[in-house]
Amino acid sequence: MTQKEILNQIEDVLDVSIDSLSIEMELSSIDEYDSMAKLSLIVMCDDEFNKKLTAEQLNDFKTIGDIVVFLSA
Amino acid sequence: MDKKVFLITGVTGAIGGAIARKLDSLGATLILTGRDTKKVEIFIDKELTQSNHIVLKLDLEDIDSISKSIDDLLFHDIRIDGFVHASGVGEVRPLKMTTPKFIYKVMNINFTSFIEIIRCIVNSKFKNKKISIVGISAIGAFQGNSTKTAYCASKAAMNAAVRCLAIELGDKGIRINTVAPGATQSKMMDDILSLPGGEQTLDKIKERQFLGVCSPNDIADAIHFLLSDSSKMITGTCLAVDGGKLST
Repeated sequence: MTQKEILNQIEDVLDVSIDSLSIEMELSSIDEYDSMAKLSLIVMCDDEFNKKLTAEQLNDFKTIGDIVVFLSA
Repeated sequence: MDKKVFLITGVTGAIGGAIARKLDSLGATLILTGRDTKKVEIFIDKELTQSNHIVLKLDLEDIDSISKSIDDLLFHDIRIDGFVHASGVGEVRPLKMTTPKFIYKVMNINFTSFIEIIRCIVNSKFKNKKISIVGISAIGAFQGNSTKTAYCASKAAMNAAVRCLAIELGDKGIRINTVAPGATQSKMMDDILSLPGGEQTLDKIKERQFLGVCSPNDIADAIHFLLSDSSKMITGTCLAVDGGKLST
């Protein structure tokens, strides 16, 4: 999966418009990144990427890029 | 409970484990199921005192395989006195991720397998006399919970089915009820509390469940009561063991 495709998946989960996110964006600056979005992200990692994302790992994410790196690893 | 035989699903979970330990201590023979029978064997070795229990391989997600697995019990030539469905999945998901595939998985494990096992054991092939059946429902069957649509629907489905089957099977000497635990110390609760928003969830629980969080033994005591003749006039109902949660 390309970086753009991963970004589009994250945009879908966060319910923000397509191509609106970039890897350097701070998660704290995104209004939509609330507890419901975090929960959706955990499910997406499991369903689409077969990766277990713990709440602890999630809390360590600072930017969109951190999520992309986790999903690409 | 001495010499009685009980089928229990979900013994590697907190509530299933607690009722298995209780019935074992009272001298019952248990048929314990699991998708991974190794885990069940380890449970028997470590947690139970008697060694005459039966391990039954049962995959609740593969709903069509259940009747064949239950038929394997016929080799043991036993009578079944009770069945406790303590298996369950409590995964939380926002609506966006509540796909049909996810709903089927939750419904199969929590609800459809419960009915399928009952269908298979209520059969003259087994030399049953009176059977008491107990399903583990949830307070979520009565109260809404954000992100728990599939879970709460599956637990409400159990309660509705129990009312119907109680009438249908009453004249066969079969009683069927559910227990609805409030928040109970278990892996399921730990998992939910560790999720984003978990701290607020715990605050909400403490506010409404004013007697405190249940222990698995609190739930096992209620199941034991429903399995025993002390509850012989109770069928088709749901017993809440919820620290008062439903009253608030």
